[in-house]
Amino acid sequence: MKNINIPFQANLKDPPVPLPKYKKQQSDGKAQTIDILIGGAAGLGINILENMLNKAFMLNGYFVYSTKEFMSRVRGGSNTVLLRISDQPIYAPCWHVDLCVALDYAALSHVQERLTQKTLIIADESDPVMKDIQKNSIAIPMLETAKDLGDSRYANSYVAGLLFGLLKADINLLRKSVVSSFSEDTQKENETAMHEGYTYSKKLKNISLPALLQTSLIPKSNFHLLDGSSAIGFGSLLGGCTMITSYPMSPSTGVLNFMASISKEFTILVEQSEDEIAAFAMVLGGWFGGARAMTSTSGGGFALMSEGMSLAGVSETPAVIYLAQRPGPATGMPTRTEQGDLNLAIHSGHGDFGRIILAPGTLEECLTYAYLAFELADRYQVPVILLSDQYLADTINMIDNVDFTAYEQRRYIVKSDRNYKRYTLNKEGISPRSVPGLGQGIVGSSSHEHDERGQSTEDYKIREIMVKKRDNKLKRILSEAYKPEIQGKGNIAIIGWGSSKGAIFEALKLLNDPRLFQVHFVWVHPLNPEHIEVLKQNETNIIIENNVSGQFADILKGHGVHIHYRILQSNGFPFFTDLLENELGNIIKDIK
Amino acid sequence: MKHPLDRENVDNAWCPGCGNFGILKLLKEVLTELALNPKDTVIVSGIGQASKTPYYIDTHMFSSLHGRALPVATTLKASNPSLNVIAEGGDGDMYGEGGNHFIHTVRRNPNIVHIVHNNMVYGLTKGQASPTSQRGFETGVQVKGVHNEPFNPISVALALKAGFVARVNIGNYEHAKTVLKQAFLHKGYALVDIFQPCVVFNKTNTRKWFNSNTHELENDHDSSNLSMAMQKALENDPIPIGIFYQSERHTFEDYFYGDEKKALISVSHDLKKLQGLFEKY
Repeated sequence: MKNINIPFQANLKDPPVPLPKYKKQQSDGKAQTIDILIGGAAGLGINILENMLNKAFMLNGYFVYSTKEFMSRVRGGSNTVLLRISDQPIYAPCWHVDLCVALDYAALSHVQERLTQKTLIIADESDPVMKDIQKNSIAIPMLETAKDLGDSRYANSYVAGLLFGLLKADINLLRKSVVSSFSEDTQKENETAMHEGYTYSKKLKNISLPALLQTSLIPKSNFHLLDGSSAIGFGSLLGGCTMITSYPMSPSTGVLNFMASISKEFTILVEQSEDEIAAFAMVLGGWFGGARAMTSTSGGGFALMSEGMSLAGVSETPAVIYLAQRPGPATGMPTRTEQGDLNLAIHSGHGDFGRIILAPGTLEECLTYAYLAFELADRYQVPVILLSDQYLADTINMIDNVDFTAYEQRRYIVKSDRNYKRYTLNKEGISPRSVPGLGQGIVGSSSHEHDERGQSTEDYKIREIMVKKRDNKLKRILSEAYKPEIQGKGNIAIIGWGSSKGAIFEALKLLNDPRLFQVHFVWVHPLNPEHIEVLKQNETNIIIENNVSGQFADILKGHGVHIHYRILQSNGFPFFTDLLENELGNIIKDIK
Repeated sequence: MKHPLDRENVDNAWCPGCGNFGILKLLKEVLTELALNPKDTVIVSGIGQASKTPYYIDTHMFSSLHGRALPVATTLKASNPSLNVIAEGGDGDMYGEGGNHFIHTVRRNPNIVHIVHNNMVYGLTKGQASPTSQRGFETGVQVKGVHNEPFNPISVALALKAGFVARVNIGNYEHAKTVLKQAFLHKGYALVDIFQPCVVFNKTNTRKWFNSNTHELENDHDSSNLSMAMQKALENDPIPIGIFYQSERHTFEDYFYGDEKKALISVSHDLKKLQGLFEKY
């Protein structure tokens, strides 16, 4: 084979890539926010309503945020979408809401614990529950109107119109969003439904609803509406991903879908494998052949990939695994969220070998760390796990413009000469990696213990040398690890990792206590001892994790960090800002 | 006898008289006679005695895990379609542990050669039944003799309309060579199941047994006729050897690349275009 051009050729002598700058969480003063909870069965089109409203409120100049909670079924059940509209960026969900819209009869009983005395309830006039709700409720003829127009799903546009009327937002911008949300054959009916809802809202009197800020809104044309799955997808493309091989599994499939949708325009091989074992083997075949490959899965699928992790370890083949967590054990709750697979990610695979685990917590981090996953896998020839969860994958938020050219492109590949040895020994333990057909050498990769050529061996001396070689890689990795992000100064550290970042940030903002500071880990494994020194020196450490045991807390403990309080949860929900504020408030009031 | 494709300084772990030696020699000769450059050739193997083959022949290799050679080989070929890719292993590796991958690799039709050393017994784990062991075959585990219906890779591959389906007997060397050459020349997935004796653990299906219980497909066998191939695949007394079926269709790489095949190592995404796409969100 001749004349293969390797773009962006780099080597280990180059310093680590600079972490591309992205906007950190921010807020100026107190936000004016309206929290809307919409409930309805699967199949009613609740997601269309979510996207329609998000787009329209963004066009109106607001910050929007939406997150879903849904059952593991295709039709029926009771699902919700939470929409938060504000003049400030929103980073997390809240439990209690200002406004609740019930698209069907089951919705109100499903969400009743999230309603307060002040919550305005909107439901269809035929909903039997409405008879019992006297205060703060509006009965509307949405189902009748929608049915008159020909399809009960037009109720979504009716509700959108009604909400825009109630919140005094610009209906013309909603119209734009409605038009872009539907195909031509139903556009007209949806527009009519929207108008009916809007007109109806104007007839309503004495509605008590917190006002939305109407002035000094800045157009949000610099912002983009994205869910976590798409952000991981964009980041992976920035990382040069040319292959994804996966077995579909909630909640990881969003990334597979994203990559498939984009494969029509970019060179990316997308293959749905027969099982997760094959998916991982395909990732290794891809990297071995010169591709940058990834797989997407959840805990149950990743359990099957354990042998592949081990093979990546001994053969020193890079791999990128997107692991979107959901509550286990076993099938658990497929469409709910949890941070319960950290231990699995750290310990999967037999034998000792290095790996890197990255747990992003915001869209910006999803994008940046997905890019980094490919860079690090290639640089150190280890598997890199991107640890996300259902909440982060499915939540839609706004992300500021990203300069894609700021992400430095590198490929750690060498042309082989006649004497090339795949596992050449050196001080770093990281041997120059070539691929078959690139040069005059032979590339031998092996799952057995092997010598420098890759030939299997049982020589005890070579075994020791090779074990040390692979272990040495860890030193280099640790010395180049990225630090946790610290926000604020104080003596009470609020520690989190992954998707809890936003809820912790908002709870701290609400508590407004100068003693509190946030320590957020994205790089969760392996931990550089220098990076946790701050916690060892600190007076009080409180950890917040979405799992029953405090998996990360135990790891920190193993590093000599004293964890004074653990706020843990494992009910399938993400952390809610307002509930977390209460829980944290109760703990810190007793701390001097 | 030395061969230019011998890997130097290796300690061969096969038993004296093992059928694997014949297959190793066959493979080296076929690659040489077809003038396939070893620097453009990769053998992906699984685990077992047969899977040690790439350690003894001087091509590139990826020695993977038990049963996993096929998925590795599939994406390796797709990453760089100009490579000659061989997936090689034994009957336990490919039809037992890797049985699911066998089925789905046939469906994908990557342009690779799939060589299965079939000795109807487990060697490296010391003598248990394999998926292809015949009924009544007694082992330390199958103490009353094998109960399970033997796996028939030929009829399974045919049921999935594999593009190239062949079986040979290493004891019939020149015939085996002719067939294996055809497998390399075939565009798409090519299965070559090779009967070979295990001189230590299979005292039933010996070299002599394979020689007297197989016969070459007749000259009038029409390898473009799927139902005739299936009929032949189900015969077992004697067992037919040769090319049962051959038919070319779009490969896995064709589906992905169309006419513009390239090595993925040379691909870099257009970041401006990506930025434009991002900004539509």
